[in-house]
Amino acid sequence: MARRSSPKKPTKASRIRSLVLRLTAVAFMLAISYGGYLAWAATSEFEGRRWDIPAQVYAAPLELYTGRALSADDLVAELKRLGYREDPRLIGPGTYRVGLGRLEVATRGFSFAGDVEPEQLVAITFVGGRIAALRDSSGGRAAIVRLNPLLIGSLFPSHGEDRLIVAPDEIPPLLTDTLKAVEDRRFDSHFGIDPIAVMRALFVNVSSGEIREGASTLTQQLVRSYFLTNTRSGFAAWWRKIREAFMAVALELRYSKSEILHAYVNEVYLGQDGARAIHGFGLASQFYFGKPLGELELHELAMLVAEVRGPTYYDPRRHADRALERRNFVLQRMSDEGLANNDEVQKAAEQQLGLVGNERRGRAHSAFLGLVRRQLSSDYARDDLERTGLVVMSTLDPAVQAAAERGLDQGIAGLGKRAEKFEGAIVVTSPHTGEVKALVGGRDASYEGFNRALDARRPIGSLIKPAVYLAALESGRYSLASVIDDAPIVVELDKKRTWTPSNFDNMAHGLVPMVRALAESYNMATVRLGLDVGLEPIAGTLQRLGLAEKPTLYPSMLLGALALTPIEVAQIYNTLANGGFRVPLRAVRSVVGEDGELLQRYEIEIAQAADAGAVYALNQALVQVMERGTGRTVRQALPEDIVVAGKTGTSDDLRDSWFAGFTNTHLIVAWVGADDNSPTGLTGSSGAGKIWAGVTAALEPNSYSAPAPDGVDETWIDYLTGAPMAARCPDAIAVPVPETDYYPHVFGCNGETGIGARIRSWLDSNRR
Amino acid sequence: MKTRSAIARGALLAYLVLGAACASLSSPAGSASRPATTPPPAPSTSGDTRPVPGGDPSATVPPGSPQPPRSEPPGRDVPSARPQSDASGASAALLEQSRAQRAAGSLPAARASLERALRLDPNNAVLWLELGELELQTGNSAQAATMARKAQTLAGRDRRLTDRAEQLLRAAE
Repeated sequence: MARRSSPKKPTKASRIRSLVLRLTAVAFMLAISYGGYLAWAATSEFEGRRWDIPAQVYAAPLELYTGRALSADDLVAELKRLGYREDPRLIGPGTYRVGLGRLEVATRGFSFAGDVEPEQLVAITFVGGRIAALRDSSGGRAAIVRLNPLLIGSLFPSHGEDRLIVAPDEIPPLLTDTLKAVEDRRFDSHFGIDPIAVMRALFVNVSSGEIREGASTLTQQLVRSYFLTNTRSGFAAWWRKIREAFMAVALELRYSKSEILHAYVNEVYLGQDGARAIHGFGLASQFYFGKPLGELELHELAMLVAEVRGPTYYDPRRHADRALERRNFVLQRMSDEGLANNDEVQKAAEQQLGLVGNERRGRAHSAFLGLVRRQLSSDYARDDLERTGLVVMSTLDPAVQAAAERGLDQGIAGLGKRAEKFEGAIVVTSPHTGEVKALVGGRDASYEGFNRALDARRPIGSLIKPAVYLAALESGRYSLASVIDDAPIVVELDKKRTWTPSNFDNMAHGLVPMVRALAESYNMATVRLGLDVGLEPIAGTLQRLGLAEKPTLYPSMLLGALALTPIEVAQIYNTLANGGFRVPLRAVRSVVGEDGELLQRYEIEIAQAADAGAVYALNQALVQVMERGTGRTVRQALPEDIVVAGKTGTSDDLRDSWFAGFTNTHLIVAWVGADDNSPTGLTGSSGAGKIWAGVTAALEPNSYSAPAPDGVDETWIDYLTGAPMAARCPDAIAVPVPETDYYPHVFGCNGETGIGARIRSWLDSNRR
Repeated sequence: MKTRSAIARGALLAYLVLGAACASLSSPAGSASRPATTPPPAPSTSGDTRPVPGGDPSATVPPGSPQPPRSEPPGRDVPSARPQSDASGASAALLEQSRAQRAAGSLPAARASLERALRLDPNNAVLWLELGELELQTGNSAQAATMARKAQTLAGRDRRLTDRAEQLLRAAE
């Protein structure tokens, strides 16, 4: 306006000058606001990332106590999983020393929401695969000692960034010094960018026409990792460099050097594990070496610093030679800068990379982590799980998990030529507490896709039969000694359709005692029994045992037309293994917030789901399944003196092979089938049963047993016919029966009754 | 003749004394002739669960007497003393710790210690009773009653335990 009012006409030159001036002003304003935006973006990212931590999930800590079945080899395997190293000097927490029949361990100790396990020196003596004595450093007896829990993974979000935050005081000074020496020598003095390094790099880059040499300061690297772009050529790359430089300066103005260094240590990208990106030195230390950052040795620390330059190119698992060369370069730099003395560096350079095995990488537990996520998602929002740094204590037993994975692998491999297309799943629980000890979702335990243990819904076949027999026992009208008819049966479904179930061997077995009908899994007898008991009560029994939804009441339900997932089957059988007490299966014990306060404890909660006497009797029949019935061959794979209870399940056309069974300490459910649901040619015992036996044998099985509840008596019958029989006869078995039922004492084997027997039974009948 | 009958009487006496001793040692869960009644951690104590064809646990032997010899390998059918859990020492220590925590008014910690003990020693009725008592103390009587029933199923015929379970059950209901 002022100019317009000017009487003097502007000259051409002054017009251009004013235009330039104005454009400059506008550009300046734009630059300032863009700069402001960049600074804001950088700082808000810096603030945000500090707390953007996925929930970290730990396994159950290993408990050491006198009497525990654990060999020295088992313990060493566990110590290795935990990244303990063998050291004859027992130099500090996280080391152990091997002696004859004896181990000395300097434990790490841990603290979890007020539950403190101190670090200590313990000496463990082993005799016959058991801990015979446990002594502390003063030589006194220690009752019970825990090892620190194994970090098994985290509930990282779908963008895949995983990290394990380390506090400033947990960062070894040698790490930050080495980072500076290798990546950014003038870190302590520059202001976010390093002009000297830039000039040098510029020269190299201009002469080569592209960005070859990074002159990035640690601050610039931090910014780059926030915004994850990595264009390497052309204008975009230069523009990105300028933006990064600007943001780096903005961060330096706002935060101290130590804050930036701390953020860097927790942020930088150091590896890839499938869909999971390993960020920060804390997680990288676990990922590559299976131990906390503070315990790294010189060569290990150097390797982590080497990875900063390019975790893909220098991937120590795929390009060990490159990683080794780069690591030794880092070691050399450490020596040059006086961070470590020459001798140490020489020794370190001779070391191998020393990576932990695949199983320690965390990914192996993806199926179990899926269950953890599922359990927690009823109480926590997804964002809370993925971003707020929760610490989760789970129920996983790493040794059981390893045994289950091995069991599935070897079991399926042993199934012959067609095994390649077979898939499988395993659930292992601790029946009394309902804790899930292991979960395998498929043959490739590291695969994060279809989790068959949780999501493969398949007809359970004869696995349903125990519910039918339990309902019969609970009705009070039947006992295991009751004789039922395994004769052909035609079931009218409606006016037009009928159903004619048949036995697996296509034979009818006539009158058999209930215990045999279940042990041999006779279909016709079961259908007859089930129809007499009624579908409704059977469905009720199933629901009490833990089935979430009421099944549809078709007669075919009696033979297992019901489709369930392995974890659902485990819930039902867990109630049986637990003597009729239902306890919700749990994968999580407790959750602690980022600041260490306890948020939630998932406690043992039990409900009586079935009559104790009826469940006791049913379980005795499940023992007979293994002794004489369809589980016989499965049982033979176990030591002679072990008592187990179990049931086979096979779906139509042999598409699904199931086995569920238990000892006193473990319930194991195994499933084998094909993902495309094609027939496998396997029965419950020839497929899943083999896997079940393999896993059970590996778990130091503890015989199944239970005290007989009040009101339960026992009687001897002929297993084949159910007729009363003397105990000494072939095929005589003892079955539990209600005290109130009358069973005659018999002294002969073939129904023959001597005079003594008749007197005896006459006396008996009068006594009652 | 005299000496022979003396020997026979001696043998009979020894048999009776041994029988009585074994009976008093046998598990609270009941007589040795009752299959699957002993909660055995050690495999060798559990052979009774499986009836052995050809075995002869004659019905004329009074309950609690030692089993007549069988043609089975030794170590399977020998009725044992009350089976000790593998974890009995550890669970006793944790139980003690739990009681101390409970006395100090720290109920969640007391509970956590008990659950830790239960994970090692789940067939121990005492632990379930203590957990039930803790539930009762925190006002959860339904859980207390269920824990008492659970303890009952594990207590077998140990009167001390069954009485205590009965007491807890009454208090909870």
